[in-house]
Amino acid sequence: MDIDDILAEVDVHAVPRQTQDLQEFTRAWVTERNAPEILPWPDALMQRILERIRRQIELVEEQTGNTDPKANFRLIIFQTELERFKFLVRSFLRARVAKIDAHALHHLTDPSTKARLSPSELQYATTHTTLLHAHYRSSFLSQFPASLQRMDDTAGGMSMVEGPDVDRAVFVRALKDVEEPVYVEGTDMAFEMRKGDVVVMRWSAVREVVIAGDAELI
Amino acid sequence: MALPLPPGLTPPETAFMCEMEMVTIIPRQRLEGLELLGGPIPPLNPPYRTALPLWLALLLKRQRRANILPPPWLSPPSLLSILDIEKSTPSFSPPPPLSPHTTTSPPFLPSATSNAPPDALPYHWLELGEMLLEAASDDIAEPDNVRRVMRDLREVRMAKMRAGVGVLEGGREVNMNGVGGMEVAEGRTFIGGVVDGLRKIGASKEMSRREREAEERENGIGGGEEDEDDMDI
Repeated sequence: MDIDDILAEVDVHAVPRQTQDLQEFTRAWVTERNAPEILPWPDALMQRILERIRRQIELVEEQTGNTDPKANFRLIIFQTELERFKFLVRSFLRARVAKIDAHALHHLTDPSTKARLSPSELQYATTHTTLLHAHYRSSFLSQFPASLQRMDDTAGGMSMVEGPDVDRAVFVRALKDVEEPVYVEGTDMAFEMRKGDVVVMRWSAVREVVIAGDAELI
Repeated sequence: MALPLPPGLTPPETAFMCEMEMVTIIPRQRLEGLELLGGPIPPLNPPYRTALPLWLALLLKRQRRANILPPPWLSPPSLLSILDIEKSTPSFSPPPPLSPHTTTSPPFLPSATSNAPPDALPYHWLELGEMLLEAASDDIAEPDNVRRVMRDLREVRMAKMRAGVGVLEGGREVNMNGVGGMEVAEGRTFIGGVVDGLRKIGASKEMSRREREAEERENGIGGGEEDEDDMDI
């Protein structure tokens, strides 16, 4: 270990909490935008970020009306950054809503997926499904024989409820050397990931590594 | 309300991410330190250099409050030597070395500040170079030359992306070390589509293999041998 390494290590610990949160949230946003599945809701992180945004908005509101040109320019910087943050949060939430919309019933019936939703997302999915059900029933389902009215039929060994395609190809970058080689089920593919490697792989093969934080989607 | 975009970052989103890269500026005006949402900004005292996120540096630059010190790799000699490396190998030129102690990744690596390595293209090289050439071409030495070599680099690397598709046919994982953010954003739909398409073609084969493996696991090794005997008959 030379002096650069020691300095680098000190640097990491010196990164302020806000910056760490920004880095973490940016990564969460990119992962959510790329992954075919919905990912666990980052509750604590989200609360910290929303609280900071709320305080910053208050600050900006307080300072509006200040005609000093210096304060005015400061306000422009604050507002520009605020808009960037709001964009991130909005894009993150909307990406999740898009996934819930696409497979609402799957998100409500599959227990492990259901556990990843935030309370308001859960409420949204429930209301959404109930409304859709009521609409289908009143417009055509009630005309069908009772045995064909179900929306979640599993007759014939096939479930009607469709989930996302977890085998979709994603771009992955290793953040650490991954100790265990990654196996791809159903093929004889196995590969090792060294720090910094970028590979195109199906999501189901790298899901565990990404959730553990050893790799990220790009 | 739901996001109407396809999965995967689009080029504008990649550019948005690139704006979080740190760049070095030389302020021309004083500015007190600010507590921003993404962390504190140190006070600006001309002529001392400071590292700021690109979006803020561009804001200051457009208002003539600062000059941007371009990263060392964004200069004709560096880009030309990288171009030589690109031409001599079938893979992308090696990305900047990573510190072994952190798991920080672009855009939060110091790969665009004035002390970035001069001999490697960082992840956001294309977007960053374009943005600096657009907003701060007067801070860059020989901007026209830089622009020209950047275009050469882009063409060489695009050709590699296209040539790399041949590897996909084997159904193996595809290694793309050193690829840039914008290049991923551009190639994602095509490469992802090819990988997914090939997977669907091979799906039935894969399914039967999966079933056979599951069966073998249940029956143990003896069971597998029996299967082979059956096939002989």
